[in-house]
Amino acid sequence: MSDPILETKGLGKRFGAFAANGDIDFSVREGELRAVIGPNGAGKTTFFNLLAGVARPTDGEIYFRGERITHVTGSQRVARGIAKAFQTANIYPDETVLQNCRLAALARVTGFFALEVLRSSRRLAEVDRIANEALELLDLQPLSSERAGDLSHGDKKRLDIAIALATQPRILLLDEPVAGMSLEEVHKTDGLIRGLAKRMTVLLIEHDMTMIMGISDSITVLHQGRILAEGTPAEIRANVTVQEAYLGGHTEGHL
Amino acid sequence: MRDLRFYGLTVLGLVLFPFAIHPIGGYGGLATQILIVGIASIGFNLLLGYAGLLSYGQAMFYGVGGYMALLTVSRFFPDHPNFWLAIVLAVAFVTLMALVIGTLVVRLYGIYFALLTLAFAQMFFFIVFKWRDLTQGDDGLQGIASPPLGLGPWSIDLTTPFPALDLGPFGNLSDLHYWYVFVAIVTLAVLAFMRALVRSQFGETLAAIRENEERSRLIGFDPKLYKLAAFVIAGALTGLAGALRGLYETSIAPDSLTVETSGNFVIFTVIGGVKTLFGPLLGTGLVMYLQNVVSAKTDAWRLIEGIVFVAVIVFLPGGVLGTFGRKRARTDLARAVRAKPETTP
Repeated sequence: MSDPILETKGLGKRFGAFAANGDIDFSVREGELRAVIGPNGAGKTTFFNLLAGVARPTDGEIYFRGERITHVTGSQRVARGIAKAFQTANIYPDETVLQNCRLAALARVTGFFALEVLRSSRRLAEVDRIANEALELLDLQPLSSERAGDLSHGDKKRLDIAIALATQPRILLLDEPVAGMSLEEVHKTDGLIRGLAKRMTVLLIEHDMTMIMGISDSITVLHQGRILAEGTPAEIRANVTVQEAYLGGHTEGHL
Repeated sequence: MRDLRFYGLTVLGLVLFPFAIHPIGGYGGLATQILIVGIASIGFNLLLGYAGLLSYGQAMFYGVGGYMALLTVSRFFPDHPNFWLAIVLAVAFVTLMALVIGTLVVRLYGIYFALLTLAFAQMFFFIVFKWRDLTQGDDGLQGIASPPLGLGPWSIDLTTPFPALDLGPFGNLSDLHYWYVFVAIVTLAVLAFMRALVRSQFGETLAAIRENEERSRLIGFDPKLYKLAAFVIAGALTGLAGALRGLYETSIAPDSLTVETSGNFVIFTVIGGVKTLFGPLLGTGLVMYLQNVVSAKTDAWRLIEGIVFVAVIVFLPGGVLGTFGRKRARTDLARAVRAKPETTP
């Protein structure tokens, strides 16, 4: 069994008296496709924000490949190999689809303090290669010269994932990648995510249980900000506590 | 090829400019002043246009640049007054100042950023106003002749007028001093620098950060670092303009640090066109022409200036160049001024 790529110990986030996350001891292995599920308000998005460095934890520690990164900023975490796609597509609407990914690749290829930063990015064939590869993996290449803001909802969400991919991450955090997509798009994206999971570690928040059960290696269930259960899809399906949590709260996902 | 066209047309424009303003009531000295202030506006555009940061305190860099240049000549090195040293010291000091202030302000957004820069500018205004021993208070520094421009073995007195040659409606060449040539060369250099900067990865990233700061952070850019760099570059160029102004006018007074001066940079840039290379220079020219030429003809010039400003914002939201320019800026004033507030979870 390989070492954990990402680990948290006693991780917590309080907003005043309200604990959105608490006591989370979480660990994911390199190459795993892990789903994080839970009823609405379970703290899934907060948990992802803590991992990606969007928000600062109030308790606990985060380790990435053995290094403590609790106080490392979001942009520095990207450089280490943690990338996040957002629940609502977070893109550059006025740029072309390709340029969206080029920017992400650019961030990866040169640093601010390199003199390269004063030269045009057009010279960097590497940037275009990475950007095009990311688009290809998300099946967005035919749209590469479209204005990103003009894409359909599903394409925007896939572009958001492509942007994350163009940073060449080791671990990809996907926050509800298929939310709001049509059945056909869900099916397509489902297949694309499986493809990505062969290349890197993927953490996935999703409400679509058919999809979760079908593609995850393992599942972590969050409930009221804490880990309620962890296991293979079969184990989670059979777990009585999990069923109660879902049936007791919002019954959005059906197990 | 495009480089050639840029340099060719810019040089042509700079050569013709002082003659072009004569028939409409301008004069050679005004052409020099417009270019000097234009340099500051070009720098300011990097902040407002490309980084989306509305600084309302640029006058502090302008004024302090001017004071530093003249103090270098008259106070720090009175025995060996040196033109280049005055400029270098002024720009270095202002750069450092921008670095310190920038570190404090780049974490703020929108109106808070504008207010804090304004507060800093007011602070510097009062320091200059009250530090009489050094700055002569509200009298300002007067009659400090600019040292000659040393260029290797040559020493050029920039106040030397051109030979008297009457060009009819385009004025008399003697109306122009070598100052204009020097300032025009600096302007060309600043334009070339800004053009390269905006097209570089730095410029590309700065625009991306302005468009979507959160996304930019989560693809690995550090927005504060880029904004700070923009703030420092804008500050340094404004300081350079201030130093040139001080040396050119041989005097500087606290009015160079007022809110009005800061506001002028905003007006110049917005009228000319944010996010365009030549817009700030054009806007500076238009408004300074109004301020200087129209004010001589009518007391209502402030009214005219106000009407022009309002008309541009309402009818040409991208500024003159942003609206009519070949490469239309895909942005409008509202977006330039309204910075994206940080989303807190």
